[in-house]
Amino acid sequence: MTFTAPVLNYAQLAPMLIVLGGALIGVLIEAFGPRASRHASQLFITVASLVAAFAALVRVRNQSSVDAAMGSVGFDGAGVLLQGTILIIALLSVFLIADQENFTALAAAVPGSSEERESLQLDLRVTEVYPLTLFAVAGMLLFPVSTDLITLFVALEMLSLPLYLMAGLSRRRRLMSQESALKYFLLGAFSSAFLLFGVAYLYGYSNSVTFAGIQASITGGSGNDVFLLLGIAFISVGLLFKVGAVPFHAWSPDVYQGAPTAITGFMAAATKVAAFGAILRIFYVAFANAEWQWKPALVLIAIVTMVFGSVVAITQRDVKRMLAYSSIAHAGFLLAGVIALSKSGLDASIFYLFAYGIATVGAFGVVTLVRDSAGEVTDLNRWSGLGKRSPLVASVFAFFLLAFAGIPLTSGFIGKFSIFSAAYETGSTAILIAGVLSSAIAAFFYIRVIVLMFFKDPVEDGTSVVIPSALTTTTIAVTSLITLILGIFPAPLINFIESSAFFIR
Amino acid sequence: MTTSTSLVYLIALPLLGATILLLAGRRSDKWGHLLATALSASSFGVGLYQLSQMLNRPTEERGVSQKLFSWISVGSFNVDAGLLLDQLSICFVLLITGVGTLIHIYSISYMSHDENRRRFFAYLNLFIAAMLLLVLGDSYLNLYVGWEGVGLASYLLIGFWNQKPAYATASKKAFVMNRVGDMGLSFAIMIAFATLGTVSFSGVEEASHTASKAALTAIGIMLLVAATGKSAQFPLQAWLGDAMAGPTPVSALIHAATMVTAGVYLIVRSNFIFDAAPTAQLLVVIVGAITLMFGALVGTAKDDIKKALAASTMSQIGYMVLGAGLGPAGYAFAIMHLLTHGFFKAGMFLGAGSVMHGMNDQVDMRRYGALRKFMPITFITFGLGYLAIIGVPPFAGFYSKDAIIETAFNAGGVKGILLGGTALLGAAITAFYMTRVMVLTFTSKERWEDNQHPHESPILMWLPMAILAIGSVTTGFLFTRGHALVNWLSPVVGEHAESEEMLLQPMVVSGLALLAVAIGVAIAVMKYQRADVETVAPQNVSIFTRIARKDLMQDSFNEAVFMRPGQALTSLLVKGDENVVDGAVRGIGRTALGAGASLRKTQTGFARSYAALILIGAIALIAGIWVVTQ
Amino acid sequence: MLTIQTPEAVMFWFLAPLAVISAIGMLLVKKAVHSALLLAWVMITLAIFYIAQDALFLGIVQIVVYTGAVMMLFLFILMLVGVDASDSLTETIRGLRPIAITAALGFGGLLVSLIGRATLGREAAGLVDANSEGNVQALAKLLFSTYVWPFEVVSALLITAALGAMVLAHHQRSVPRATQREQAIARFRGASLGSAAGLPNPGVFARHNAVDVPALLPDGSAAPNSISATLKARGDMLESTQFELSEVDNTVTEEK
Repeated sequence: MTFTAPVLNYAQLAPMLIVLGGALIGVLIEAFGPRASRHASQLFITVASLVAAFAALVRVRNQSSVDAAMGSVGFDGAGVLLQGTILIIALLSVFLIADQENFTALAAAVPGSSEERESLQLDLRVTEVYPLTLFAVAGMLLFPVSTDLITLFVALEMLSLPLYLMAGLSRRRRLMSQESALKYFLLGAFSSAFLLFGVAYLYGYSNSVTFAGIQASITGGSGNDVFLLLGIAFISVGLLFKVGAVPFHAWSPDVYQGAPTAITGFMAAATKVAAFGAILRIFYVAFANAEWQWKPALVLIAIVTMVFGSVVAITQRDVKRMLAYSSIAHAGFLLAGVIALSKSGLDASIFYLFAYGIATVGAFGVVTLVRDSAGEVTDLNRWSGLGKRSPLVASVFAFFLLAFAGIPLTSGFIGKFSIFSAAYETGSTAILIAGVLSSAIAAFFYIRVIVLMFFKDPVEDGTSVVIPSALTTTTIAVTSLITLILGIFPAPLINFIESSAFFIR
Repeated sequence: MTTSTSLVYLIALPLLGATILLLAGRRSDKWGHLLATALSASSFGVGLYQLSQMLNRPTEERGVSQKLFSWISVGSFNVDAGLLLDQLSICFVLLITGVGTLIHIYSISYMSHDENRRRFFAYLNLFIAAMLLLVLGDSYLNLYVGWEGVGLASYLLIGFWNQKPAYATASKKAFVMNRVGDMGLSFAIMIAFATLGTVSFSGVEEASHTASKAALTAIGIMLLVAATGKSAQFPLQAWLGDAMAGPTPVSALIHAATMVTAGVYLIVRSNFIFDAAPTAQLLVVIVGAITLMFGALVGTAKDDIKKALAASTMSQIGYMVLGAGLGPAGYAFAIMHLLTHGFFKAGMFLGAGSVMHGMNDQVDMRRYGALRKFMPITFITFGLGYLAIIGVPPFAGFYSKDAIIETAFNAGGVKGILLGGTALLGAAITAFYMTRVMVLTFTSKERWEDNQHPHESPILMWLPMAILAIGSVTTGFLFTRGHALVNWLSPVVGEHAESEEMLLQPMVVSGLALLAVAIGVAIAVMKYQRADVETVAPQNVSIFTRIARKDLMQDSFNEAVFMRPGQALTSLLVKGDENVVDGAVRGIGRTALGAGASLRKTQTGFARSYAALILIGAIALIAGIWVVTQ
Repeated sequence: MLTIQTPEAVMFWFLAPLAVISAIGMLLVKKAVHSALLLAWVMITLAIFYIAQDALFLGIVQIVVYTGAVMMLFLFILMLVGVDASDSLTETIRGLRPIAITAALGFGGLLVSLIGRATLGREAAGLVDANSEGNVQALAKLLFSTYVWPFEVVSALLITAALGAMVLAHHQRSVPRATQREQAIARFRGASLGSAAGLPNPGVFARHNAVDVPALLPDGSAAPNSISATLKARGDMLESTQFELSEVDNTVTEEK
C-alpha cells in the first residue's frame, strides 16, 4: 500500500496553531510555573498568542484554498472575517476575565467549606481559565472553517468543553454556577449526540463527510431525500443548540445567569460568532441546493425564536437572564441571514455577528461593575436609579441596550437593517414582519431598563458601581467606541466585508 | 444641485463646543459659557454666509448639498449621511442659530449662580447641533438622527435641575410622549423604505408621483403622529406644560422657537407626501384646529406664567400645523408664522424669565402686578411680543396669523368656514388670555408676597429680549413685503396657489380678526384690570374653568388612553407568561399526550425537562420530514 | 450488492434483541452497578457486530476502550461513591415521565418509519472496498492523511479534558504537609504522651474483628480513637461491650 504524507498549509492554519501553542504553554506554566507569577505570565501568554494569531491571520487574509488541511479546513474570505471577529472578541473578553474577582479561588473546594474560606484568604486563583479560554478560542476558530463533518464535530467539542468547565467557576453563588455548568454539559452532550446522528445520516446519504461531497450528492443524487433531511435536521439540532434557538434554547438563561459574568460575555459573543459561522458555511455550502426542503422549517424556527426571546425577555427580573433572552432573540434575527442564502445575507450576517458580539462583551463588562458587598448585583430592581448614581456607567449600558434594540446611530441598527433587507430581498416577507414586530417588542424591554436606570429613584441597599480595573475599562471603552463608530461610519467595514466575504466551495 | 463643503461647519461648531465642555469638565467652568456662546454665534455667522451665497445664485440653483460619508450601503439600498441646505432649511438654520445665540447670551447671566452652568451650556450647544442636523439632513433617516438628538438634548435640559423630583417626572413624561411620536417617525421610514425603496427627500419626492395612495397615506399619517409628539399637538400635547419645569432659557429655546416646531418642519418638508395623500392632509388640518383651540382654552385658566405661555405655544403651533395642512396655499404661511412666533414667543419667555428673576422665582401671576414701574425694559419688550402674538398690525403676528386665517377661510366649502371660524375664535381667545397675562403681570395692582424687591434684569438679559422684540415688530412686515417669503420658499414647497374663488376678501378677514382681537382684549381688561384679582385662585368657579385648569382633562385622557392600556399590556404579558405559556404547555400535555399531567413552565430549572424540550423539537423536525416525504 | 450470510443473520437475530433488552433494562434497573453491567453488555454486543461486519479493529477498540477501560472506570467510581447510594427516582415534574415516554416512542416510531422509506439510489460501498488494503491499514491511512487535522486537534481536546479534571478535582494544598520528623516531635511535645506510641488498633475479638469495633484499653474501657475517623463520623462505630466474652450466651444445648 502506498501512503502519501499529508500536506498542511501551515500559514493558513497558523492562527489556530498559535492559539493552541499558547494554550499548551499555559498548561506548562500551570504545571511548572511559580504560583506568584502565574497570573501575570498567563495573562501575558494569552494576550500575546491572541495578538500573534490575529497578526498571522492578517498575513494570509487574501488567500483562499479548499486544501488548507487535507480538505478538512476551507480557508476563505468569510472564514478570515469570522476568525478575526472571534479573535477580537476573545481579546476583549480576556481583559474581563483577567479581573479575577469573577472566579472562585479553588474550584475543588466544597462551597461553604473551611477549605473554600482558606483558599480565599490565601488569595488562590484559578489561573487555568487562561489556557481553557485559549482552547475554547482554538475550537471557535476551527468551527466556522471546518469543511467536513468530522472536523466540525471535533471543533464543536473543543469549543464547548472549556466553556462547560468555566461556567462552573463563579466566585459567588457557586452552587448555582456549578449547577449551570452541569446542565450545560449534559444538554450539550445530548445535542452533540444529535449532531453525530445527523453526521451518520449524511454519510449514509452521500458516502462522504465533506461539505463538497454532500453538495455534489444533493445535485446529482438519485435516491430520495429521507437520509439527507434527517441528516440536516439532526445537524441543525446540534448547531441550533449552540446558538440558543427555540426550542433548543432552554439552557441559555440558566447558564448565562450561573456562569461568571466575564465568561458569560465571552460565551455569548464568541460562541455565537463561531456557531453562526459554522451554520452559515454548512447551509451555504453543503445544503444550499436543498434549499426548498429546509427553508420552511428554518423560517419557522427563526420566527419562533425572535418572538419567544423578545416576549419572554420582558418578564425577566435579572439582568443576565434578560440578556440571555435577548441573545435568543438575536439568534432569531441572525437566522434571517442564514435563510436569505445570498451574498448580501452573508455580508449582513458577518456584520451583525461582529456588531452584536462586540456590544455583548461590552454589556456584560458593565454588568461586572455593578456590585454590592456580596458580589455582582444582577437583580434589575436594584439597578433602578443607577443613572443618578453613576451616570457614565449607566449611559454606556443604555447605549449597549440601544444597540441591541437597533436604534439608529448604533451598530445594531445597521446590523438589523442589513440582515432584514437581505432576508426581504430573497422573498422572506414573513421573516421581515416577525423581525420588525419582535424588534419593537424588544425595544420595549430595553427601554424599560433605561427608564428604570434613569427615572426611578435609587434604592439604598449598598448597590454601587465599582471603579473598574484598567483592563475592564479598556474593554468597555473599546466596545462602546466600536459600537458607536459602526453606527456612524459602518461603510468601511461593510465595504470590506462585501469585498472579501465569500465561501469557497 | 450645487455642492458645498462648508455646510458641515454649521453643525460641527456647536458640536465641538459640547464635546470640549463635556470632556474638559470642571476645568472649563471659567470660560465654558463664553466658548459655547462664541461657537453658537459663529455657526450663525456661517448661516449668514450661506444665505448670502444663496442669494447670489439663481432661484433654481439655490439649494446646496454636501455628502459627508456613505452611511449605510446594503445591497441596493444606500443612505448617505448628507446635508441639504435649501430655501426652507436656511430659514430654520438662521432661526435656530440666531435665537439660539441670543438665548446663550441671556443664559450667561440667568444661570450665573448655578454651579453647573458649564454643563448647561454644553447641553445647549448639543441641542443646537442636533436641531441643525434635524433641519439639514437630506433624508428621513438623517432627520431621524437629529430628531432623536434633540430629544436627548431636551431631556437633558428639561431635567437639568433633576434633583427636584417634579422636574425628573416632567422629563420622564416628555421622554415617554416623545417615544410615541418617534415610533410614528420610524414606522413612516420603514413604510417608505418598504414601498418606495428609498428614504431620501429627493428620492421619496420622485417616487411619490407613482406610488400608491394607500402607502402615501400611511406614511403621511405616521409622519403626523411623529409631528404631534414633537410639536405637542393633540393628542400628544400633555408633556409641554410639565416641561416648563426646566430652566426658562430652555423653555424659550426648545419649547417656543425651535424643537417644538420640528413637527411643522417635518410636515412642510414632506409636502409632496401630503399633497398626494388628501386623507392624511385632512387629518393634519383637524389636528391643527383642535390643538389651536385646546391650547387657547387651557391658556385662559393658567396662573403659572410659564404654563400660560406654554399653552399659547401649543395653540400657535396649532395655527402652523393648520396652515401646513392647507396644502401649497398654506405651507409658506405656516413657516412664516413659525419664524415670527420664534421671535415673539422666545422674547416673551425670556421676559417671563426676567420677571421671575426679579421676583425670586415666583411663577404665579396672581402674585405679580404693577411690575411696569419696576421692570420697564421687560415690560416694553414683553409688551411688543404681546402685541405681536395677538395680531395687532403692524406687528409680526398680524401678518402671519392673518394669512393663515385667510387661507383657512378660503379652503373651500363648509370646511373653510369651520376652519376659518375656529382660527378666528382662537385669535379672540388668544387676545383674551394674553391680555390677562399682560394685565396680571404688569399693569394691575401689586399683589406681591412679602420680601419682594422687583428689579430690572442686567443688560446681558435684557439685550437679547430687546433684539427679539425688534424682530417681533419688524419680521412680519419684512416677510410679506412683495410676498418675499412666499416666493423664496416656492421652489421647495410648490407654487403658492391663490384659490380661485375667495370666500372672503383679505380686507374682510383682517377686519374680522381685528374685531375678534379687540373683543378678547376688552373682556380681559374689564375682568382683570378693573376688578381686584384674588391672590389665590378662586375655587367656586364653573365646571368649565375647572376643566380648563386641569388642562382640559389631558392627564385623565392620557391615563385612559396611554397609561392604562400600557399597564394592562404589561400585566397581560406577565400573566401571559404565567397563564398562557404555562397553560399552553399544560394544554399540550393534556390533549396531545393524553397524560392527564402537565408540564410546568418550560423553564423549570431541571436539565431533564430541557432535554425533553430538545427532543420534542427534534421530533417536530422529523415529523415535518415524515410529512413532506410521504 | 452486499450479501448477508446465514450465520451472520442468525447471530444478529440472536444478539440484537438481547442488546435492545439490555439497553432498556439499563434504564429500568434500580441499582447503578446492574445498570453499568448491562451497559457493558450492550457494548460487547456492539463489538461483536462490528467484528462480524469485518470491522475488526473497531470491534477490538470497542471492547478494549469502552468495555475494558471506560466501563470499568464507571464501576470503580460507583464503588467509591458507594454501591448502595441511589438517587431518588421520584419524578418531581408532574407529567414529564409520560411525556418523555411518548416522545421517545414517537421519536423511535417516526425514525423507523422514515428509514423504512429511505432509498439510496446507489450501491452501498461495503467493507470489501474499504478493507482492500487491510482494515487497520485503511483506518491508519485515513487518520494520518485525510483526517490528520481533526486527529491532531483531538489531542488538544484531551488536554482540555485533563486540565478540566485538574481544575475541578485537584485540591491545592494550602499549607505544606508535615514531615515525619515534625509529626514525631508533635506527638512527644503534645499535651499528653497517651498517643506517643501511635494509636491503638481496632478491637480484635473472637466474635468480631472488624474495623468498626473499638479496641479495649488495659483498664477495660473502649478506645474510640482506635477506629477510623470516617467511620466514627458516619456513625458506623459499634459498641465493643456487646462482644465481650461475658456477654456471649454460652449455655450449650446438648445435641441428641
